[in-house]
Amino acid sequence: MEVAISAMASVFMDPYLIGLIFATTILGVIIGVLPGLGATTGAALLLPFTLTMEPVQAIAVLSTIYVSATFAGSITAILINTPGTSASAATTFDGYPLAKKGEAGRALGIAVVSSTVGGVFSVIVLCIAAPLLARVAYEFRPPEYFALTIFGLSMLASISAGGAVKNLIGGIFGVWLSTIGAERVTAIERFMFGNYNLYEGLSFVPVFIGLFAISELLVQSKTVNKVMEIIALKAVKLPSKEDYKRIWKTILRSCGIGTFIGILPAEGATIASMIGYSEAKRWSKNKEEFGKGSIEGIAGAEAANNAATGGAMVPTMVLGIPGSGTTAIILVGLMVHGLRPGAYLFTEQVEKVYQIFGSMLMANLMFMAMGLYAAKLFARISLVPISILWPIVFALSVIGAYALQQSLLDVWIALIFGVLGYFARRHGFAVAPIAVGLILGEMVETNLQHSLKMYDGAWWMILAQPLAAFFLFLAFLGLCGPYIYKLITTQKS
Amino acid sequence: MPLIRASKGKIMQKKLYIVPIFLTFFSVAVILISLQLDISPEMIVGDSMQARTFPIFLMAVNLILIAVLSLQFYKNYPKRIELEHFPTWFSMFLFLLFYFLTVTTDMFIGITVCMFLMGYTWGEKRLWVNACNAIATPGLIFILFDYVLRIRFPRGLLTNLYYG
Repeated sequence: MEVAISAMASVFMDPYLIGLIFATTILGVIIGVLPGLGATTGAALLLPFTLTMEPVQAIAVLSTIYVSATFAGSITAILINTPGTSASAATTFDGYPLAKKGEAGRALGIAVVSSTVGGVFSVIVLCIAAPLLARVAYEFRPPEYFALTIFGLSMLASISAGGAVKNLIGGIFGVWLSTIGAERVTAIERFMFGNYNLYEGLSFVPVFIGLFAISELLVQSKTVNKVMEIIALKAVKLPSKEDYKRIWKTILRSCGIGTFIGILPAEGATIASMIGYSEAKRWSKNKEEFGKGSIEGIAGAEAANNAATGGAMVPTMVLGIPGSGTTAIILVGLMVHGLRPGAYLFTEQVEKVYQIFGSMLMANLMFMAMGLYAAKLFARISLVPISILWPIVFALSVIGAYALQQSLLDVWIALIFGVLGYFARRHGFAVAPIAVGLILGEMVETNLQHSLKMYDGAWWMILAQPLAAFFLFLAFLGLCGPYIYKLITTQKS
Repeated sequence: MPLIRASKGKIMQKKLYIVPIFLTFFSVAVILISLQLDISPEMIVGDSMQARTFPIFLMAVNLILIAVLSLQFYKNYPKRIELEHFPTWFSMFLFLLFYFLTVTTDMFIGITVCMFLMGYTWGEKRLWVNACNAIATPGLIFILFDYVLRIRFPRGLLTNLYYG
């Protein structure tokens, strides 16, 4: 406990780290307000810039981008009816109508306060839940890890856009990508086609830059003629006492919902904000206001999406299972900097872990200040023509892909995955499952191999382990639950 | 001709199955390639899996999912997908141009040319704005990566001048 508190306090006393988080928060808010450039794309583009940093600084940069861009999406959602990030889509339902009524400042004030409360709440939960979960995870053996990764993969069914089947196909494709290169036990070359640069497997960074940044560039090329109109904003107002009375219950509820959904492997801020919004509507006494500028609607969505950021860090750091596309990139950041995610991180690198948590806490407080005092300025940035912005993203993408291993092959991989990601998205396949599958692929195969060795090839013995069986049951429920429920309700009716 | 005589619904249905057909083709190809992989001696693998087993298993699951997807497509027509506009195709062409320029001249020439053309095609008709963006951005990124991150870029016409 003492170590945790002193590590978190050290963040607030380190001028370099404070400066870095401040600069990254500004960058994160800019990334968040630029339509198309969300937290995931931003983190993918910034990852190469963190290579020479200390591990804590690097992860602080990536997690700051995560929390600040997730919040900043609400600025454009309210002012130009275009969510800066998908997590802010629910904010447009009531944020824009309220802004159109001439209360843009009030809408932004509520979004800022709700996001900050959601973010801080989730970091507190992260500080408490992560070490407890790590203590449980410490006992995990290969069968449990195998079952857990299967559970993580099964949760891909509901990640981001696309149907469950499409997401699972994407996830399996991602897992297959992880098999490219030399097999770890036998060193047999798989799917390398004679290219020895692929011996160690596909590097995560160029694949992620391709899937998230370059594919988004191609998606944005369809919107070249879109004209955006900004709503006039005088100043951002903090919620009044009356507003607080109306929204405090909604904020607390959404904090719980967002954090819980974030903790679930492969779930993310977008789903959290949608559920936060719908629950706010369900419990509200003023349901008729929803869709016309309800402050509870804004608070419900915003508190939930930022609460999901801290929650999503729990499985990422404790189990090595990313909770969203952005946390998948943070996970890669951890690995690149030699911080192997898992239970041991909480025993061997406990100080660094709490410094990262402290950085997230600070980022949440910083974006509050920025949201209150500079939202007007940031909203103007969203009007940067895409014909200027996206060529810059192209340059950052190719150089970023090159930077990690200083290999041109990585640049070609990024471009190939960019085109592949674009066509996948065009046909309704989300790219996040591919990324998560790629990360989890190695874990699945390695733990299955170890489990088989443990039980002399008797794979059914995995089911005899209570915890593994529990995770596999959850995976089964995650995959088949909705269909079983539908079948039962159809039969009843 | 048969395509013209067929009803509109049938034409759509044919297009509809392009995705499952492509995915099936891919999965089968992976299985066939996997079957060509070497087999390790028993003393190395023991009771565990051969290198080919896992990818074959994955693709078998994929084939089941593709069958479910086809069934879903059959039951509910997915939304019609709009054809790409010129900027999208041209952006993809620029990736090829970037590859060609990087291999034959210099990575930074490739980036500059592609940024300029991309900006122009995407609607920025002021040439000087495009030129400033296309020259300044790679320049600034180069300075940042070279001085701060100490990253050495591949040799080419421009980088040769710099590195000597």
